[in-house]
Formats: sequence, structure tokens, C-alpha cells
Amino acid sequence: MFCKRYRQQIPELNTTSTADISFMLLIFFLVTSSMDTDKGLLRQLAPPPIEHQQPQDVNKDFVVQVALDANDQLTCDGKAVTLQELQEAVTAMVQVNRTGHVVSVEADRATTYEAYFRMQDAIVGAYHSLREHYSQQHYGRPYHRLSGDERAIVNDYYPQRISESLHSQKGGAR
Amino acid sequence: MRPMRSMFHDRRRHDVPSLNVASMPDLIFTVLFFFMIVTHMRSDEVKVRLEVPAGSEVKKLMGHPAIVNIYIGRSERSEVRGERIPKVQEWTVQLNGEIVTPAEIPARISEIKGKLSPENAERLTVSLRADRRAPMGLVSDVKQALQQSYALKINYSATEINP
Repeated sequence: MFCKRYRQQIPELNTTSTADISFMLLIFFLVTSSMDTDKGLLRQLAPPPIEHQQPQDVNKDFVVQVALDANDQLTCDGKAVTLQELQEAVTAMVQVNRTGHVVSVEADRATTYEAYFRMQDAIVGAYHSLREHYSQQHYGRPYHRLSGDERAIVNDYYPQRISESLHSQKGGAR
Repeated sequence: MRPMRSMFHDRRRHDVPSLNVASMPDLIFTVLFFFMIVTHMRSDEVKVRLEVPAGSEVKKLMGHPAIVNIYIGRSERSEVRGERIPKVQEWTVQLNGEIVTPAEIPARISEIKGKLSPENAERLTVSLRADRRAPMGLVSDVKQALQQSYALKINYSATEINP
């Protein structure tokens, strides 16, 4: 009778090493994966210019001429400006001619990427604040909480008209 | 002299009770799953040194499969035919895992596009990670190469400045 009772007991499984195994898996994942999320400024380039295409004429009054020289000096319509002033100039121009203005961007080959990026950031920032304002007025919600269709309407209301020149060739970017 | 019973009691106390570690693997598995979810596999080894600029209007790039990474940074070329020369740092372009010249980019992009499904090829986004001191000449060469290969969606990679 005693013997039978002993047999019915299930021997305990030794699970001490499971912790070690899962630790090894954990360390493997820590080493091979990275945590950095890719953040950035999403832009759309213009399609390559077609041969013998006539450049579109735009009214000079509605063009904001932004340029960066070799010493990272930012100029707007020939005057040296700060990023804040550039943002204000772009905002003012968009308010004057919402759908017909052009922000023309030019950068010297020796300009640093950071200066160029900051300039792009400032211009996009100007559009963002305008769109944010419009969205608050018409939908009563911030831009990031709008639905896809509503966003498209707001984006069409304030189109980004940025023209970039890559080596003297002119190309427009939306 | 102590009674017999308490003597037995003392001897029993000498045994150290074993620690129950049954839940330890569960705990570690939880940590493991957390890491598996919040991280993603490192796709390619970055061979150039770079530091991305910072901006205030940056947005998170959605992690869909059609992303091409282009890195522009400094690389160190220390050896030329075994001779010891001082380390020269030069601006280098790296596309996904390999170092390329801007002229090679259109061919690489069309090769990558060929492997993708049509709808993914349309959504192809180039994540441009350039060093903040990189000259615009090189960056615009790369951009022009991308323009020619119809890879028009560009993400200027940057870190966020908190207002």
C-alpha cells in the first residue's frame, strides 16, 4: 500500500535553468535590436524636369526668395534674417496670396546640412501653424486630431508651394 | 537539560528553505516580450559617423516595409595598400548596407523597387540621415539622384526639440 502511494506522486520537473535560457534570449534581443525611432521631416520632391519644359512664370510680387550662402547666412528677399523672421515672412506671404505664392529656396553647395534643415523646418513650421489655425477655426480641433479627408481639405486650403533649385535646375516641391 | 522535543525542533531549523523560483522565467519572459515589442531589428550596420540635426516640426516615420535608408556622414579610410597614413575623414554616402557614390543611387533604387510589390514601390520612402555638418552640395547630389529615380518621398531624419 505504501509502495503504491509513492508511485502516484509525479516527480517535480527541475525548471531552474529556464530562467537562464530566457535570460539568454533577452540578452540576444537587447544586442540585436535598436530602440531609436525614425523621426523626421517628410517632404515630397518634384518629379524630374522634362526636357525643353518651359519654366512657369510666377508673379515676382508673390515670391519669397530664400537663400543660404556658404557661411550659413540665411537671407530672405536679399535681407539677412533669423529663422523666426523667415517664418513670419512666409506666414505673411501665404496670407497675402494663399494659392499663388511661391517660396523659392536656394542653397549654396558649401552650406551645411543643419542650416538647410533648420530653414526647411522653419518654412514647414509656418505652414503648420497656419493649418493648425484653420483647423481650430473650422473644425474646433487641433490638426493632428482631424480625419484623413479633413486633413486633405486643410492641406488643399493652405498648399505648400516650395520651389527648390538643385544645381541651377528649377524644380517645384509640394 | 532540554526536553527531547525541542532538540528535534532545532535540528530542523538548520535546513535552509529552498527559494521558489518557478515564477522567475515568467518574469524574464515578460521583460523579453516588452523588448521584442518596443524595439525593432537593426537593419544595417552604419559605416559612417553622423549626427542628425534637430528640428521642431518632425514627425514619426511609419514603419512600413518600403523604406530605404541613406546615410551621409564621415568615414575613416586609414589604409591605402597597407601604408600607414593619417586618418582621412571624407564625406561618404551609404545606401542601406553599402557605401555608394551618388551616381550609383538610381540603379540601386530601381533594383530595390523591382523587388517590391507595385503598391509598396509607390509608397517607397527614403529616409535621409545626413550629418549636420555635411555640405549641401553632396546632399543635393543625392537628392537629384533620387529625383531621377522617381523616389520622391523623402524623410529628412532629425531629432525632436521639445518646445
